[in-house]
Amino acid sequence: MSPASEGAPNSGSSERRHAALDGLMRAAQQGDRHAYHLLLQEVAQRMRRLIAARAPWLGQADIEDIVQDVLLSLHMARATWDPARPFMPWIAAIARNRLTDHARRYKRRQAFDQAASDLAEVFSTTPGQSHAEGVVNLMSVRSAMADLSPGERRAFELVRLRELSLAEAAQQSETTVGAIKVAVHRASRKLKRAINTGGEERK
Amino acid sequence: MKTDALIDSLARDAGPVRPLRSPLRRIWGWLAIALGFAGAMVWAIGPRPDLTERMLEARFLLEQGAALATAITAAMAALALTMPDAARIWRWLPVVPAVAWLGTLGLGCLRDWAQMGPEGLRLTPDPECLVYIALIGSLPLLALVLMLRRGAPLRPSWTLALAALAAAAIGNFALRLFHMQDAALMVLVWQVGAVALIAAIAALCGRAVLRWPGVPA
Repeated sequence: MSPASEGAPNSGSSERRHAALDGLMRAAQQGDRHAYHLLLQEVAQRMRRLIAARAPWLGQADIEDIVQDVLLSLHMARATWDPARPFMPWIAAIARNRLTDHARRYKRRQAFDQAASDLAEVFSTTPGQSHAEGVVNLMSVRSAMADLSPGERRAFELVRLRELSLAEAAQQSETTVGAIKVAVHRASRKLKRAINTGGEERK
Repeated sequence: MKTDALIDSLARDAGPVRPLRSPLRRIWGWLAIALGFAGAMVWAIGPRPDLTERMLEARFLLEQGAALATAITAAMAALALTMPDAARIWRWLPVVPAVAWLGTLGLGCLRDWAQMGPEGLRLTPDPECLVYIALIGSLPLLALVLMLRRGAPLRPSWTLALAALAAAAIGNFALRLFHMQDAALMVLVWQVGAVALIAAIAALCGRAVLRWPGVPA
């Protein structure tokens, strides 16, 4: 039986799914393009799910950027995987490394660190669970953002998401530091309330 | 580019790859190149006239042994840092020989002081050490960087610093076979100092030399 046909990595127990990924990677190292294609798709899907769940403020394009970086890194480093060892810790180390690089770029270190520490867990949970989790997070934030006034949304985005200083944000929005402060405070309060309500409604 | 298109193109271009062997097995090839080049340089420059005497001296052997062990373990640690799932113990490997190296030279300073007084700790300029160490370390460093680039640049600054430490320690090992300087403080400052300086400069260049695809330095 060829390693690629050991079964879809999405089905069965977590050990079996992991073993299926080991088999795909082993086959990929031996030059099996079909197995490699399946493996890349699987890694892309898991990374996409993980990032959307942990960093819901990122746009689709940003998420795809990170996913693609992980795939390119996997591709570049594929000779460093020892077929005698499991695939999961290997790809998790690469993904953690790339997430850290992106965290620097997005200045949202904390959330990405969280994502990195959750990697092992997310890679071993069933796709349905973490996907649902990501969707709930994303929907809560989206609906909450819709309730903000344009000024509040902009202030929140500049100060909390892009981490500009109050003065920089005030300069960019052509307003005063005091006004930015108030807008960020109001936006945070509204978002918190909306997310809590959203979470409760869905329970 | 869409992710699906990227996956298609990566899968299309992927031929078979031979998995890299462990640092313990890859180190020997590098060591052969490094020691071969260092030996050739010593031969070209001409070994020191008292080399036979020195080879019988425990202190000299200990210092040289520690320098060589530092080179070998630093090179293995650098190789291990490019393997995503390598055990963490690899990266600490050079600590023991490096401490032993500094320790033997530190004790040497005390002995020189005890035997010769302040004269034993006289520090005079000896900048050519840096030049020789850099020269002899150049090819070993190049060879090691080529090996490292086959791996994953997970910690580029540390990796390149360890690689440069390995290469410069080989340079220092060879230097002492032709350079008549055995005063412990002089060796510590001008030779080990040069090795440390080279490793520090390499650390700054890490991200430019070892990087992931598609990411600017």
